[in-house]
Amino acid sequence: MVKAVPPWLRVASTLLVALTVLFLLAPLVVVIGVSFSESEFIAFPPKGFSLRWYEGVLTSNTYLASALASLQIAVLVTITATLVGGAAAVALHRGKLPFSRTLAIVFLSPLVLPTIIFAIGMLMFWSRVFGPVSILTLWLSHTVVALPYVIRTTLAVLAESDPFLEEAARTMGAGRLQRLWFVVVPQCVPGLGAGAFFAFNISFDEAVLSLFLRKPDLTTLPVQIYGQLEFSPDPSVAAVSAIMIFLTVLMMVVIDRILGLQRFARS
Amino acid sequence: MANVRLQTIHKSFGSNAVIHGVSLDIASGEFVSLLGASGCGKTTLLRIVAGLEGVTSGTVEIDGRNVTDLPPERRDIAMMFQSYALMPHLSVADNVRFPLRMRGLGSREEQEAKVRTALETVQLAHLFQRRPVQLSGGQQQRVALARAIVSNPKVLLLDEPLSNLDARLREDMQVELIEIHKRLGLTTIFVTHDQEEALSLSNRIILLNGGYIEQQGTPAEIYARPDSAFASSFLGAANLVPAIIEAGDKPVAVLADGQRLAIAPDITTYGSTTIALRQEDLLISDAGRPGLQARVRTRVFLGSRNRYVLQLAGMDIKVLASTDRVYADGAMVTLSVDPVRVRCLPR
Repeated sequence: MVKAVPPWLRVASTLLVALTVLFLLAPLVVVIGVSFSESEFIAFPPKGFSLRWYEGVLTSNTYLASALASLQIAVLVTITATLVGGAAAVALHRGKLPFSRTLAIVFLSPLVLPTIIFAIGMLMFWSRVFGPVSILTLWLSHTVVALPYVIRTTLAVLAESDPFLEEAARTMGAGRLQRLWFVVVPQCVPGLGAGAFFAFNISFDEAVLSLFLRKPDLTTLPVQIYGQLEFSPDPSVAAVSAIMIFLTVLMMVVIDRILGLQRFARS
Repeated sequence: MANVRLQTIHKSFGSNAVIHGVSLDIASGEFVSLLGASGCGKTTLLRIVAGLEGVTSGTVEIDGRNVTDLPPERRDIAMMFQSYALMPHLSVADNVRFPLRMRGLGSREEQEAKVRTALETVQLAHLFQRRPVQLSGGQQQRVALARAIVSNPKVLLLDEPLSNLDARLREDMQVELIEIHKRLGLTTIFVTHDQEEALSLSNRIILLNGGYIEQQGTPAEIYARPDSAFASSFLGAANLVPAIIEAGDKPVAVLADGQRLAIAPDITTYGSTTIALRQEDLLISDAGRPGLQARVRTRVFLGSRNRYVLQLAGMDIKVLASTDRVYADGAMVTLSVDPVRVRCLPR
């Protein structure tokens, strides 16, 4: 028998849900609100309504250049993190590698390791071994941070799959590469898709690593926003943020359509 | 279609030996069942034929060729898995076409024609566009069967393919397997723990126990003359009763409590041994008639029959009886059996 939930617990849980939703959404509401402000200053509630900050952002060379840099890095990171993470997940799932448990912990460690520690270490390591930082530095370090997400999502779909599929494919004459292409990869696709989405977003709004590993000619969008906020705060920051929110939501809808449809076909 | 020959196969997983020197000849076109309880090595043996498991020692020949060191993808076999192992991302038609595509057999049109024939064989041609998840368990299984026969493999390996089906579907599939085997004549090795399946499907049953071949023969032979306590308890769930055989014109088995049971004169075992009495061969009647006197412990109603658990000579004896007459718990009954149905096991 399920006991009735006592009234105080029901009130408390409703309150908890409400507060969670509030703290998730309120900042977004504020940012979007500020972005339409007429005022020169960041103030909420916004004064008046104008699109001047959007116009400013979309015609600003510094914003567009940093957005382009972020996009470039995020695309590269998505590709490498998906390829490396997918391969790592398949290998970890099979568990036949020596030390595969240890490897799994190492691969997933960026999830728990404070990014700032990794950033400091990366900066020192890179300058000592390879010299000045470049786009390659950001690409590699973002990949490291994004990797565990791809691995996790891919491991999750592999855990659900029929462990006998590959053996069955062997009895049907499929060699190693055929099994990889016709059996393993199709099984991983939903996990890889979700992982790629995470990887893109993590790289695109990653601030700590980008801050430590920046150069005058290599400033990503989050670093640009941060700098703007620090030295000449105006609602353009809010406008950039609102555009990013819009793009993220759009991407989520698209991804969910694709992956959602696939899941529908699977189960 | 090809013969299969296993020679003194040994298989160990680490220090755990699971197959102890099994040799087996399977003729071209034969339908052989590997029958045994879980852990007897039957699935391991099948996987060795498939090449999914290596051998510790011994050789595997298919069609006269030593394939011991060949990987499964180069053995020209087909295997049906207990989980069916259909590719979830492929349609029914693409699943069935998979082995043809992987082996590069024929043009796309030829492959599609073969797929259609195979799906017609299992009566699923109309569902070719579906995905496996949109099919029932029985339909998935037919797809797996179509996929196994489509490439006309040298050997068809079936790993407990019917165990996930409900009773009625299982009976239908048995009939279908028999008919497909008749039509295509594929050399088939069928793994099962279900004696009924083995009896009804195969040309020959290999009874495995603890990694050894316990007994082999046609279903009729192995059912009528199980030559060990294991074989007779496994096939037909016989009661095993210790007895002493007294020879003579009319030989008898003397039970532990001194009761005497007539047995057939063609016995070869004398003295202290074990007799096997099948549940379905025993007859129950009112107490005091000629035969063994026993007491009813429990009755289990099975629908078409009653199963009685009787106490006889300090043992529990199971009997399948008709439902015409019901005996209460604790009642005395007479237990009789046709002497030729009493099997004296060799010591």
